[in-house]
Amino acid sequence: MAEIQFLLNDRLIKTSSQEGLVLLDFVREHQRLTGTKIGCREGDCGACSVLIGTLEGEGVKYLPVTSCLFPLGRVHGMHVVTVEGLSKETLTPVQRAMVEHSGTQCGFCTPGFVVSMTGFALESSSVYQDDPRDAISGNICRCTGYKSIERALSEVSEQLQQKPQGSEQMAWLIEKGFVPPYFAGIPARLRAIPARRPAELTSSTSAPTVLLGGGSDLNVQRPEAIRDADVAFAQDYASTAIEEQDGFVYIGGAATMEDLNRSPLIAQTLPSIRAWMRLVASTPIRTIASIAGNLVNASPIGDVTILMLALGAEIELSAQHAQRWLPLEELYLGYKTLSKQQGEILSRLRFPSTTPQSRVNFEKVSKRTFLDIASVNAAMRLEVQGDIIQKARLSAGGVAPIPKLLRETSRWLVGQPLTGETALEAAQRAQSEVQPISDIRGSADYKRLLLRQLVMAHFAEATAIPVVKEALL
Amino acid sequence: MSQEIKSKLGFPGQWQETTLRIPDDEPPPWDPSYKFQTVNKAVPRVDAFAKVTGRATYTTDIRKPGLLYGRLLVSSHPSATIKSIDVSKAKALTGVKAVIALPIKEVRFVGQEIAAVAATSSQIADDALRLIKVEYDPRPFVVDVETARKEGAPLVFPKRAAQAPEGKSANVTPQRITKRGDIEAGFKRAEHILEGQFRTQVQTHSCLEPHAFTAEWEGDQLTVWASTQSTFSVRDELAQVFEISPSKVRVFSEYMGGGFGSKFGARASGKLAAMLAKEAKAPVCLIPSRKEEHLTHGNRPNSVQHFKMGVRNDGTITAMQLTSYGTGGIAGGAAATRPMLGLYRCPNKLAIDEDVFTHAGPARAFRAPGHPQGAFSLEQMVDMCAEKIGMDPLQIRLQNDPHTVRRAQMELGAKRIGWDRRNKTPGTQKGPIMRGLGMASSLWYNTGSAGAEILVKIHKDGRVEAFSGGQDIGTGIRTLIAQVVAEELGIPLQLLHVHIGDTQHPYAPGSGGSKTTPCVTPAARKAAFLAKQKLFDLARTLLKLEPKTPMIAQQSRIFSKADPKMSVDWAQLTRYLPNGILSVQATRAHNYAAYNNIIAGVQFAEVEVDTQTGLIRVLKIVAVHDCGLVLNKLTARSQVNGGVIQGISYALFEDRILDPRTGQMVNPNFEHYKIAGSREIPEIDAVLFDVYAGSNNTHALGLGEPTTVPTAAAIANAVYNATGARLFELPMTPDRVLKALAQRRSPQK
Ligand SMILES: Cc1cc2nc3c(=O)[nH]c(=O)nc-3n(C[C@@H](O)[C@@H](O)[C@H](O)COP(=O)(O)OP(=O)(O)OC[C@H]3O[C@@H](n4cnc5c(N)ncnc54)[C@H](O)[C@@H]3O)c2cc1C
Ligand code: FES
Ligand code: FES
Repeated sequence: MAEIQFLLNDRLIKTSSQEGLVLLDFVREHQRLTGTKIGCREGDCGACSVLIGTLEGEGVKYLPVTSCLFPLGRVHGMHVVTVEGLSKETLTPVQRAMVEHSGTQCGFCTPGFVVSMTGFALESSSVYQDDPRDAISGNICRCTGYKSIERALSEVSEQLQQKPQGSEQMAWLIEKGFVPPYFAGIPARLRAIPARRPAELTSSTSAPTVLLGGGSDLNVQRPEAIRDADVAFAQDYASTAIEEQDGFVYIGGAATMEDLNRSPLIAQTLPSIRAWMRLVASTPIRTIASIAGNLVNASPIGDVTILMLALGAEIELSAQHAQRWLPLEELYLGYKTLSKQQGEILSRLRFPSTTPQSRVNFEKVSKRTFLDIASVNAAMRLEVQGDIIQKARLSAGGVAPIPKLLRETSRWLVGQPLTGETALEAAQRAQSEVQPISDIRGSADYKRLLLRQLVMAHFAEATAIPVVKEALL
Repeated sequence: MSQEIKSKLGFPGQWQETTLRIPDDEPPPWDPSYKFQTVNKAVPRVDAFAKVTGRATYTTDIRKPGLLYGRLLVSSHPSATIKSIDVSKAKALTGVKAVIALPIKEVRFVGQEIAAVAATSSQIADDALRLIKVEYDPRPFVVDVETARKEGAPLVFPKRAAQAPEGKSANVTPQRITKRGDIEAGFKRAEHILEGQFRTQVQTHSCLEPHAFTAEWEGDQLTVWASTQSTFSVRDELAQVFEISPSKVRVFSEYMGGGFGSKFGARASGKLAAMLAKEAKAPVCLIPSRKEEHLTHGNRPNSVQHFKMGVRNDGTITAMQLTSYGTGGIAGGAAATRPMLGLYRCPNKLAIDEDVFTHAGPARAFRAPGHPQGAFSLEQMVDMCAEKIGMDPLQIRLQNDPHTVRRAQMELGAKRIGWDRRNKTPGTQKGPIMRGLGMASSLWYNTGSAGAEILVKIHKDGRVEAFSGGQDIGTGIRTLIAQVVAEELGIPLQLLHVHIGDTQHPYAPGSGGSKTTPCVTPAARKAAFLAKQKLFDLARTLLKLEPKTPMIAQQSRIFSKADPKMSVDWAQLTRYLPNGILSVQATRAHNYAAYNNIIAGVQFAEVEVDTQTGLIRVLKIVAVHDCGLVLNKLTARSQVNGGVIQGISYALFEDRILDPRTGQMVNPNFEHYKIAGSREIPEIDAVLFDVYAGSNNTHALGLGEPTTVPTAAAIANAVYNATGARLFELPMTPDRVLKALAQRRSPQK
């Protein structure tokens, strides 16, 4: 087993613990840092939040993750920050704000909130610009009613208005006490950690190797098996790059949902991406969750999967000596049955770049608006010329055993004018292609109705055509 | 010995001169003219530092040398006879230090504790569980309340078979009937009689910290760390189980991560932790998983309520009749009748309720047991009556509610939400998004009781310690004790150090019924008051004053009331303490004749309903609550916010779903059992209403529970005001909203 090296707060850790062990257990049980709490072990409460820092340019980029899902093997070469790594004798401005606004009641959720809010302070992009509360979207509190925490967050947010951009940011954060001085030395210390050489991935090793992206599905589905398994990480075999080439947008097989959310290229290609991604999981989960994992997990309501289906994505499957491209919709044969061979890695995916003629939209309805799985989700991509639809791809989740490309409706749409009638007719036709079942996400009737509303919403949102509102009821 | 004192009680506009009889050694309740230094202010928690730095140690964080990891084996069957349990393989596994099989023959719910293991790592403990062979003989089961009521349904307690009420299953308990006045006459006097059938779901407590225990034996001395809301009940129960003196059991709970009613006593997991520790001769921690929390560690029962209400055209409610039943699984406690019995002047009331046993995890007290359920039906019925006679829902409540505090709260709340913006005719707005306003009332009872004790120690360096054996369930009692003692001694909070959560400290009651603050703070004030008398003596001696010279302690000085120049500093005075320490322990007195014994409260909701998707968005809640004198504005506001959010979560999201075919819980996690997150929380206007209640020396009453009582009802009334469709069932899911809207459009369906 390869040695894992990383920085835990201000200490260098070298360990040969299981790579599939979740970071949470390492931190709490092996290192006895009990400030990081356990509320659910499934990524849904944020009590276990820690920050992970990765080298980026001259500095380190910090993002929150739920340590209960994050595999230990993944932290090689990273800086892991727990609540204990934030302050010694004086409180940070985040902690002070939490104290002053009474953001803590029983206090069990508090370290998680403090860590997420520190992640907010360390954020250098504009992802939280619309609403700072996105930074705590992965944290649950059963006691306070969140109001006091929100007030603390707005106070922190105000202080951060002064924060300089770029390379001076860290010095400023240290000066103001948001993070302790040792953060300044982290980049150099991370650079000193030797890169890990991953083993060659074969399909015929005796102990079957489990391929992990972020583990946000596998560590929920069968954590004990993962802990004890031989694991390999997609990050070691695929890139996280998102780039444009020859009329396609290429996404690396290790790119995460948060990479998608933050990519300047995607922001250009899909200007609404931020609004859509907000409805998907939470910041810490998106930081963990790979796009490839979402596709391969084959959940019938995978959000990125549904979006990619509509975008016209193809996936590159790589085995030891072979590579092939497959239209995404051909990956899904039946409920969680894939046309992918054992040992094949999803190394890249691509979809045709959007043009001024493209109209793309994604919609999702869930019980709880944030950090919840969809009852129904749907995406649509149209290419239009004048008022006539030239190409169409409509997809929907939660209405069939697989993430579904609505082929018939898509085909019918081609050649239709962009009108309210077309929207109505498409919503109608979509019904004949789906077989929703009643479950805890809603009754079959309700899901059918939602699908209809979502298709209508696509037209209203993406094409700005007047969809008659009354027709919706 | 007691004294009579005249007290000004009530609240501005409603003052009342009352004669209170109080014990001789008690400080009189604070007078409304008294200028507070520390109490009644927005004071940050004294333990916030420990909490925000992650240094606060919870039971789940206790790490003893040689600590073993305990795991529970719980039943996977809803109903079965256990033919045999074979633990031999588990015992033989390397690293396993103790295995205990409970002597049970029957299991009655999925999640029932059967056996437990302790091992050197949690992995080994998990592996050991898999090696335990349980031979079940599965039996018929029933998890749904309707089926369980029917004659012939599988019985949860077969021994009760002979006690079946006529025409019903023996799963049904005898009816509890409460009668007031003459219900028949009440309905006769009514000009309109309205009826409604309401349903509420099962809600689990979902405390963020699980029901964790760590136990350790040294000889016959048992030490337990418990995530509990009642340290002394854990101690007493364990003493009983192991047949040892309570003096041999010490329970710690310095920090605990939420309880909401579910964390009283040791129960099976506390006992098993101690049994494992005894057998293994090593400390053992037992920390349930989230799934076990949902299955085993308590819930709010569901309810099916049939309500009938009579009203006259002038708005007088003449009769209220509620017949209800519900299931708390293998436990009782489903009654939802208290709100209708406690609210409104109506003289004729009839309440009938019964518990129904099902093969599901036992209910436990949950924040205002029965009340959110009861308010959901009652407060919608009141709105239905108001609509019938063309009266404003606010008006009908003002007219029928005798409670002066609540009436004042209603008027205040109505102003703050802008009640005139309410739709005069519900469901007439254009457009897919409709907005509406609704309101509902709350009530609670607990004014605390005698018995809690506090020990105060004043040290020669001027620092003061206060000791209470009770726990802080999150309401902030540690901070309140510090505030009250600091106030009474006239010193800054920084000099205070409060120790709680240790049964070797003086007695405090469990944190249930919202009574911790009204029970504990009067003891704290009294202890400080008595200590202060001794300091006054010392000061008089130092200042060479007459023995009975009236003295004042304020701003770290002790001085003569008549001549403030005759003064000594706190720091100086304490240096002269004989033996360097002054210790005083005091006990909370009985309640006095209070201004109000029923705590009031009212909430107003503004909602937005998307009639295309059925999604309800709560925009604003105005929550006006009283708890006697507000001792700390920050912690009190936090209680209100917290009660409201649990109410919203109950109204819209939470629902424990059991599959009737398998008896299994479909959503035993936070992925599908959704509790409200930060983005679901509306603007909350928490309005705290000081009342000089006078039932004890700090005027404190309870607050935790009443804040969650009316929320779901207020939201339902607002949804009706928006859409004209009434929701009779919780949670108000999009699915149900759309059905109700469809029903409204074509009522024949
Ligand atoms: C709290 C929570 C909330 C969530 N909310 C949402 C949501 O709102 N919407 C949504 O769509 N999803 C949601 N998810 C699921 C989402 O996180 C996953 O589907 C994620 O995208 C999977 O990626 P991963 O890298 O974590 O997968 P892993 O768990 O690591 O792997 C999943 C599967 O993909 C395989 N795999 C991973 N990478 C590759 C690769 N490169 N090539 C071949 N196979 C690969 C693995 O072997 C495994 O079979 C949520 C999950 C959690 C825990
Ligand atoms: S423990 Fe709940 S998110 Fe990790
Ligand atoms: S303070 Fe108790 S869970 Fe947040």
